[in-house]
Amino acid sequence: MDAKRAQVDNAITQALEATLPDQLDLDRNSPLSAASGLDSVQIMNLVMEIEDHLDISVPVDVLAEAQTLNELAERIVPLLTKEET
Amino acid sequence: MSLFEKFELLSQSRKALGNHGPPPVATPFDSVNSPTRGVVGGREVLLAGTNNYLGLTFHPEVVTEAKAALDTLGSGTTGSRMANGSYVPHQQLEQELAAAFEWPSAMVFSTGYQANVGVMSSIVGTGETLLIDADSHASIYDGCRMSKAQTLTFRHNDPENLDRKLARLGEEAKKTLVVVEGLYSMLGDQPPLQEFVDVKNKHGAWLLVDEAHSFGVFGEKGLGLTESCGLLDEVDFIVGTFSKSLAGIGGFCVSPHPELDLLRLASRPYIFTASPSPAVIAGTRAALRLVVDGQALRAQLHRNIDRLYSGIRALGYELGSPTPGPVAAIILPDRESALGHWQALFNEGIYANLMIPPATPNGLCLLRLSLSAAHTDQDIDLIVEALGRVQGTHQQAIQA
Repeated sequence: MDAKRAQVDNAITQALEATLPDQLDLDRNSPLSAASGLDSVQIMNLVMEIEDHLDISVPVDVLAEAQTLNELAERIVPLLTKEET
Repeated sequence: MSLFEKFELLSQSRKALGNHGPPPVATPFDSVNSPTRGVVGGREVLLAGTNNYLGLTFHPEVVTEAKAALDTLGSGTTGSRMANGSYVPHQQLEQELAAAFEWPSAMVFSTGYQANVGVMSSIVGTGETLLIDADSHASIYDGCRMSKAQTLTFRHNDPENLDRKLARLGEEAKKTLVVVEGLYSMLGDQPPLQEFVDVKNKHGAWLLVDEAHSFGVFGEKGLGLTESCGLLDEVDFIVGTFSKSLAGIGGFCVSPHPELDLLRLASRPYIFTASPSPAVIAGTRAALRLVVDGQALRAQLHRNIDRLYSGIRALGYELGSPTPGPVAAIILPDRESALGHWQALFNEGIYANLMIPPATPNGLCLLRLSLSAAHTDQDIDLIVEALGRVQGTHQQAIQA
């Protein structure tokens, strides 16, 4: 599971580089919308980039449940496992 | 601790729009006197920010038939379609919509929003998937929320991304409803519909096209982008609204599948709301005839589109859509510039739409102009000339 999580964390970093290069040092435990000032469209673009890196599809409700990048990562790990089994 | 604390960010956004002159959001109209003229704050303005694409809101047939229904059937139905709110004209409108598409089924909803929410929430359920364009209208997103299906998004207007997402679903793709719009209302851009059809056919998925902004505008009979692309045989559902080209309020879904009728028993937004008033239904029936026979109106609208797009392009503004259409969205660098353009254009006597995040895709700040067949050449020229003066003033301000 740790390897999967590292894979997801790496994908998030790459997605940040691609879509929000000025947010690379974003606190992954802070609320995405309030603390980082990201709007819902920016967050969705970030997730689409993560999807491309991991070759998965993240359901909209998974995105809605995750308040921080770390919470998002936690919810993506099982998707990764599911896709690969 | 107040329940209203969570709205503080929204409150700040509204305050940032300033309080000098008429508000650019929820602008109060003293009156609207024609499809192209209204009065705001005591001042007559040219309307270039409505969705009155064919200019039918004051058409004598629409107004006369709506008035007659008001006189004969009263002001409201006071009930749901499931109870006492199904009048013969409601059913006639459904038959006329179905006949226009040469399909067996049509359902009328009380608003366009409810049409999307009502169809999306009921037609796809547990164990099935909704796969929607990321830039979809809020009504599509809200319909997905209400549905028990899983919702996935694909990149805006990107058939290759849709292909990948359907491929990942494997056999589940056959239980997936793909949703696109015929014309996206913020940027005014259109989908590559043939490519989307090819992709959904490859995976055996279903396709719904929301023609809210494209119905009346495209196609020989004005049925929308699907008709103009010759793809009516390739889609499963078309959703539309009465509140744009049809000049009323309400929504509809039409389908080549006769089973659409079963949604009357399952769609909560259809069942648990009052049906449209008789006047709205009568006016919409008149407007539908005018749309289907509206080749001259569409020709005029498209002349206006070409005139406005070429005028704006000559000024050097960046537009949201590469293809001209009834919405011309001017992309501006930031909120201040967009607000400044809106106010300056208003001061020139022209009402447009200010569109800023989070309502816009990709955080864009837009001055949105929309056209009507009722606009004259002189109206279009007034808009372009005013934009030219506004642009000059803004460039001077930036350079100063």
